[in-house]
Amino acid sequence: MKGSVIKYERDNIDTDVILPGPYLKIHDYAELATHAMEGLDKDFHKRVKPGDFIVAGKNFGCGSSREHAPIALSYSGIKAVLALSFARIFYRNAVDGAFLLPIEIDESAYKDISDSDSLEVNISANEIRNLTKNKVYKMKPFPDLIGKIVEAGGLFNYKP
Amino acid sequence: MSKTLFEKIWDSHIVVEENGRSLLYVDRHLIHEVTSPQAFDGLRLNGRKVRRTDLTFATMDHNVPTSDRSLPIIDQTSSTQIKTLERNCKEFGITLFDINSPNQGIVHVIGPELGITLPGTTIVCGDSHTSTHGAFGSLAFGIGTSDVEHVLATQCIMMEKPKTFEINIQGKRKNPHAVTAKDIILSLIKKIGTAGGTGTVIEYRGDTISELTMEQRMTICNMSIEAGARAGLIAPDEKTYQYLRGRKYTPKNYDEYVNLWRENLKTDSGAKFDKSFTFSAENIAPQVSWGTNPAMTTDVTGNVPFPDEYGKGNPEEEKGATKALQYMDLKPGMAITDIVIDRVFIGSCTNSRLEDLMEAARVVKGKKVSARVRAMVVPGSQLVKKNAEELGLDKIFKDAGFEWRESGCSMCLGMNPDILAAGERCASTSNRNFEGRQGTGGRTHLVSPVMAAAAAIHGHFVDVRELDLN
Repeated sequence: MKGSVIKYERDNIDTDVILPGPYLKIHDYAELATHAMEGLDKDFHKRVKPGDFIVAGKNFGCGSSREHAPIALSYSGIKAVLALSFARIFYRNAVDGAFLLPIEIDESAYKDISDSDSLEVNISANEIRNLTKNKVYKMKPFPDLIGKIVEAGGLFNYKP
Repeated sequence: MSKTLFEKIWDSHIVVEENGRSLLYVDRHLIHEVTSPQAFDGLRLNGRKVRRTDLTFATMDHNVPTSDRSLPIIDQTSSTQIKTLERNCKEFGITLFDINSPNQGIVHVIGPELGITLPGTTIVCGDSHTSTHGAFGSLAFGIGTSDVEHVLATQCIMMEKPKTFEINIQGKRKNPHAVTAKDIILSLIKKIGTAGGTGTVIEYRGDTISELTMEQRMTICNMSIEAGARAGLIAPDEKTYQYLRGRKYTPKNYDEYVNLWRENLKTDSGAKFDKSFTFSAENIAPQVSWGTNPAMTTDVTGNVPFPDEYGKGNPEEEKGATKALQYMDLKPGMAITDIVIDRVFIGSCTNSRLEDLMEAARVVKGKKVSARVRAMVVPGSQLVKKNAEELGLDKIFKDAGFEWRESGCSMCLGMNPDILAAGERCASTSNRNFEGRQGTGGRTHLVSPVMAAAAAIHGHFVDVRELDLN
């Protein structure tokens, strides 16, 4: 996976800012996507390109269990969120529906990666390559089950 | 072998276990209009049925209007979502408490109220505040829509075993009418942080917890998710069994169940938790959140913190506080009691039950809402509303100038017309003070029902310990 970074230097980015409540009434995923991150960044929709990564701080996706949050990011083109840590329901929703990859990174990678950097993520090697800065970071490997669900393309395609 | 309450419930619900991951049986599945439509679409697409329609219950709460229900719903998208749930429940054979049902209400208020929530059961719902049901010794998880579909189809959920976290709360509150369950849970989240419980199931223990009523315990368990926990649990006791006796869905041979629960549903002495935290409730003050997450909370006697003081040397925390103060338009150092408010919301799955309204009414009785404030009470369910009206609480609130509305989630999450305008500041009994949660640009201060009621009367926050509440 290759793409460029949209970085939010913030902890606790909650699902209410990722996809604000009023839009939970929208049934169409493409339309949901036009409101992604609207609570935090009104320009996100104009800026995001297919294949982009979000980089953020601790406890990304905290709050509501709305699956609309990873769906809106996914249909905006976001392939993975690289964060210091994730709230559990967001993490689970992202993986279950194979909407995007929730990747845990460490402090040094978080500090080093800048907005607009080009990254290449290699899941099987647990490696993130910063093509702009010519550096390599480790990502936290997916736990066994998560890895298998990700590989299968979501909960409904996974056969134990 | 000694086991915790969590481990007992978990172990008794395992259908298959393999390499640390388990397929757990789900005893009760609660659904609502917002997180279920795509799940039903998925079932239809794959030609699947709902496996246990008898264990699945639905209501509409998130975007129902709280104004006159004899009028049509103006918002077309809300109306569509509500009609879609009706259609889905009819097609798949699921019990629905619809907008006109005397049992309609917030899903986490009606579950216990109807006796659907029972000790020792597993409960899931496509809503993060499902943790509320843990107050009955039920293992209750909030899930997303893919999992809702999975549970509808299989009545099971796949999970890795969470860690256990004991939170021991000791001591007697000096003024339990002024220092409430909401203040206990807010002050806990302030101490352990919004991710303090991540990956764990919390069991709340200690004499402070035993002393709480069932409705107060629900307030505590409700906000477990605000500390990042997967679920919150309180071991059932005689109060629990009494609360559930004779409710609509309580089992017929109830005493047999109670005997089993008495015997089994407790953490064995000597059982080990993965993590432990103890604190005293003796000196807790009424709490007011000043920032944009529930851990950004302080005593009503305190001041809005300076970012560096809040960050305690952590630059990220300091930055977070700076941004929060900007959004909240507050100056560091100002007294919490000097914060002037525009709106008051008494409601939500955290604080909309009969006792919450009774406690708030003590403050309101014979007084008038400040001229600068618009205040509303949104009972958690039609049954709460009816019971409150029988006690004359509606009259107390209305005489004071509060709006007395129909039941639903309302201004907690701004999905229906009950929202804050940009820049408006609200004293709210809900659970999240996230940016824009109650309306774009709206500013939320989380407080207890008594604190919200007092703020409505005075137009700013006051220390309710100084009021005569007896």
